[in-house]
Amino acid sequence: MEPLEQLHNFISAIHWLNESEWEVFSGIWQSFECKRKTVLTVAGETEKHLYFVLEGLQRAFYIGDDHEAATIVFTYPSSFSGVADSFLTQTKSRYFLETLTASKFLRTTYRQLEELMNGYPSIQKMVLKLTALALKGVLERQIELQCFSAEEKFRALLKRSPHVLQIIPHKYLASYLGIDPATFSKLLGSVRI
Amino acid sequence: MKSFNSTAVLQELQADVRQLVLGVSYLQKEDPELLELIPAPGKWSVAQVLEHLNSYGRYYLPAIEKSLRANKPRKEQFTPGWFGNYFTRIMKPGKDGKVHNKMSSPKDHRPSASPDVKPVVDEFMDQQHRLLSLLEQSKQKNIGAIRTPISISRFIKLKLGDTFRFLVAHEQRHFVQITNAIREIQRTTGKFQSAPLAIQHSPVF
Repeated sequence: MEPLEQLHNFISAIHWLNESEWEVFSGIWQSFECKRKTVLTVAGETEKHLYFVLEGLQRAFYIGDDHEAATIVFTYPSSFSGVADSFLTQTKSRYFLETLTASKFLRTTYRQLEELMNGYPSIQKMVLKLTALALKGVLERQIELQCFSAEEKFRALLKRSPHVLQIIPHKYLASYLGIDPATFSKLLGSVRI
Repeated sequence: MKSFNSTAVLQELQADVRQLVLGVSYLQKEDPELLELIPAPGKWSVAQVLEHLNSYGRYYLPAIEKSLRANKPRKEQFTPGWFGNYFTRIMKPGKDGKVHNKMSSPKDHRPSASPDVKPVVDEFMDQQHRLLSLLEQSKQKNIGAIRTPISISRFIKLKLGDTFRFLVAHEQRHFVQITNAIREIQRTTGKFQSAPLAIQHSPVF
């Protein structure tokens, strides 16, 4: 599938853009690719880009005081990527974003998106909807992290995204779920779907 | 001389700098002692290496900032200059991520005996963020036409693109040194076993 077609399919499921709106919107994206373990954004930098993932796996992570990196979110085709809160607020990121595998994206800049949002209310509405959905996801995840047992978290992840065990290194998954690696290994062995 | 897409060069250099920032972000969380210890007699501590890199940044970052005022809009292709390419090639670690040619540092870039860890690391990080910003700004400029004088002689001017390449290659070279220093300290003290090590390198660009 053509990259822009992939983006169009994704967007259409969330918000309807008419022909001229889609034309200007599709005009702000550039192709970008990079190899695995490329650091796209570092903490302290302001996220300039919004990425739409065509291929590959990425993760955002936080480096805490005990120097263990905490994985916050994974992004893969077709989802948006980039440090969302830094991008939307244009303030410094507290997180790092890196590719875990060779990746291909469409990407645009805040300036280009802002120009469209200022000129097209429908596009602004779309960005608002996408932001609201992201917020919804974050709250759901917060509940899981706060209230679920290790096994419940593990099962929830497998139910939502069964393929992740094959593509994401287990140490990052364990970190993402807030489970220690030993418990994670145990759950891998015992939990059957 | 082979020419490159100028935006791609700057992009790649930004990715390289981000690797270093990530590496130091991990180091910042370690016991400062790891950065203070001398790995072996006559060798620099991690803090001293960073201080050495800071001394280059102190000269080059303002020089680059100044040169960016020139009204020379970007050109699609960048061809490295002879000197620039030479300096970058001898600085850059090899494809195996190791340094095979020994060099000694110019006198005025030798670090003090035991620098204070926190200000050194803070300055290094601050410089890298400034460097990221300058690389970003340079995407709008002609990095082949704008020149900056090198620190050891104001009569030798490198193309801006080469100054960036050299600067980053120099930092990467010293990060190999940092990796080796940490390994050595882990070996001799038995401590800091969970300290992060690998900083990846891109091929010579």
